[in-house]
Amino acid sequence: MSDLILDIQDLVVNYETDDGIVHAVNGLNLQLEKKKTLGLVGETGAGKTTTALSILNLVPNPPGVIRNGRIILDGEDVLQKSPKELQKMRGNDVAMIFQDPMTALNPVMTVGEQIAESILLHENVTQAEAFERAKEMLRQVGIPDSRAYDYPHQFSGGMRQRVVIAIALACNPKLLIADEPTTALDVTIQAQVLELMKELIRKYEMAVLLITHDLGVVAEVCDEVAVIYAGKVVEKGTADDIFNHTLHPYTEGLFNSMPNLKKKGEDLEPIKGMMPDPMNLPEGCAFAERCPYASDACLRVNPELRKVSDTHWVACRAYEDERFQLRRYQHA
Amino acid sequence: MSAVTKSTVTTAKPVTKMKSRSQGQEAWRRLKKNKGAMLGLAFLILLVVVAIISGYIFDYETDVIGINPAEKLQKPSAQHWFGTDNLGRDIFARVLYGSRYSLVIGVGSVFIGLVIGVLCGALAGYYGGMVDQVVMRINDMLYAVPNIMIAVVIVSLFGTSTFNLLLSLCVTVATAFTRIARASVMTIRQQEFVEAAYAMGLPTWKVIFKHILPNCLSPIIVQATLSIGTTIINASSLSFLGIGIPSPAPEWGAMLSEGRNFIRNSGYICVIPGLAIMFTVLALNLLGDGVRDALDPKLKK
Repeated sequence: MSDLILDIQDLVVNYETDDGIVHAVNGLNLQLEKKKTLGLVGETGAGKTTTALSILNLVPNPPGVIRNGRIILDGEDVLQKSPKELQKMRGNDVAMIFQDPMTALNPVMTVGEQIAESILLHENVTQAEAFERAKEMLRQVGIPDSRAYDYPHQFSGGMRQRVVIAIALACNPKLLIADEPTTALDVTIQAQVLELMKELIRKYEMAVLLITHDLGVVAEVCDEVAVIYAGKVVEKGTADDIFNHTLHPYTEGLFNSMPNLKKKGEDLEPIKGMMPDPMNLPEGCAFAERCPYASDACLRVNPELRKVSDTHWVACRAYEDERFQLRRYQHA
Repeated sequence: MSAVTKSTVTTAKPVTKMKSRSQGQEAWRRLKKNKGAMLGLAFLILLVVVAIISGYIFDYETDVIGINPAEKLQKPSAQHWFGTDNLGRDIFARVLYGSRYSLVIGVGSVFIGLVIGVLCGALAGYYGGMVDQVVMRINDMLYAVPNIMIAVVIVSLFGTSTFNLLLSLCVTVATAFTRIARASVMTIRQQEFVEAAYAMGLPTWKVIFKHILPNCLSPIIVQATLSIGTTIINASSLSFLGIGIPSPAPEWGAMLSEGRNFIRNSGYICVIPGLAIMFTVLALNLLGDGVRDALDPKLKK
C-alpha cells in the first residue's frame, strides 16, 4: 500500500432540502500522507466541515447526501462500510476534535467517564482499567488526574478543549480531524492548545487534518495546505508553496485581508463580494466574480487543478499564460 | 514521565481544589433551602412509612374491612380517633391503610406511563419525520379524549381491578411524558456532544440512552413528581364513581363516596379521607414545584 492515510477522490456532497439543492462539496480531491499535517483552509461555508464529516461518514442524512466520490482511509473505502464497520472505525482509526469545547462535552458525565467511554468502546479492557487510562490521558494534556471526577462545567474553555483532545487521542487514532480546534478560544489559550497539539501529534505520530480559517494557525502547525473555495480545492501545496509562492488569486486575497505588522495603519484589503450561493453555483470558476484577474473565459469554464511543481497545484486558468503573475509578485 | 508531559503541565492553569459536585448534588442543596418542598417531602416520607407499617399493625380482615354494627357511626373518640363509619369500621385504620392504594397506584401508573411515554417521545424526537408524525398524532388522539372517558372504557372492557385501574391511569400519564420527552430530545439532539458521541463510534441506541436522555431528565423528574399527585386524584375520582378499586377496600375516593349518605350527621366520614387526598396531593405539588426550581434555578427569576 502507498503511504497515503487518506485519499479523497472526486467527493460530491449535497444538502437536498425542499428549497433546493445546496452544493456543499463539488468534486473535491485531497491526499494526506501518514504522519503529515494537512491544513484545510477556507472561509465559512466553503465545505470544510462537510468534508470532515464525510470522512467519518457522518454527514447528517437527511438532508445531506454523498452523491459521488471515494474516501480511501488506510486502504479502505469509508463510503462502502457497513454501520458496524463504521462504528469500529470512528474513534479508533479516525477521531475528531470539535470546534466548540463548550458544547462538545456531555454536561451530565464526568470528564473521566467521557474519556473512558471511548477506550471502553474500542478496546478490550475493564471499566476500572479504562478509567485509569483516562486519567493518564488527562495528565498527557496537562490536567491533573484528580480532576477526572469533575464535570465539564467546572472547567474553563481552554481546559475543556484539552479534555476534548484527550478524548480524541484516547484510542491512538491513525488520523485526527481537528475542526477549527482553536476558533472558540481566546488568543493566549489558542497558543497553548496549539503547542499541546503539536507536541502530541509528534509524540503519537498520527496524521492530522486541521480545518481552520486562520492562516496563522496553519503556518504554525501544518506541513501541507489545501485551500478550498465553494467546495473545491483551488490550490494545494506545502506550507512554503502556499505562503511564499502563492499562486491562486483567492489565496492572495486571503493573505491581503489579514492584518500585517509591516503595513501598520493601512486599510485591510478584503476580497470583494460574497461567496456564490451554494444552491446556485456559477457555470465557470466559482471565484471569477470576485477575482481581479478574471477574463470572460473564466466565467464559462471551470478550471481543473494543474501541476505547477512536484508539490504545488493550482486551479486557475490564468496560468495558461506563462507570463502571468499575481500582483504581490509583480513589483518584486 | 516524558518531557512532553512536563512542559504541558506547566502551561496548564493553576487548579484550585474544589469539591466536585454533580448536577444532582447541586439540585439537592438548593432543594433543601426550599421550606415548602421539605415539608412536602417530610409528609411523603411519613406517608410511605405509614403505608408500610399499616400492613403490619392492622389486620386487614378484622380492623380494615371487618363489619361491626354495634359501633356504627361513632364520633371521633379516644377509642376510635377518627370515629367509625356506617358499618362500624374504624376510619383511622381505614385511612392509614388506604395510603397503600393511593401510593401504589400513583407511583405505579406514573412509572409505567413514564417508561412508555419517554420511549415514545425519544423515538419521535430523535427520528423526526414520519416516526414523529405517527407517534405524535396517536398521542394527540389520546390527549383529546378526557382521561376519565379512557378509564371508563378500559375498565368496562376489562373489568374492575387494581391492574386495570393502573393501566387506564397510565395512558394519560404517558401522553404527557411523550410530549415532554420529545421536546427535550429534539433540543439535545442538536448539540455538538451528540455528534461527538457518534464520532467516537457509539451506536445510536447508546447515544440516545447515555447521552441524550440523561440530559432530558430535569423536566421528566418534575413532571413525574407533579403527575403522581394528579394521578392520585384521578384514581380517587374513579373509585368515587365506582369504577376504581372495588369495595370494600379502603381506597380514599371510595370511602368518600360511601360517606356521602351520612354527610349531614357524620361529616367526618367524608372529610377525613378527603383531607388525606388533599394533603397528599398538596405535599406532592409542593415537592414538585421545589424540584422544578432546584433543577432550573434560572426559571425562578
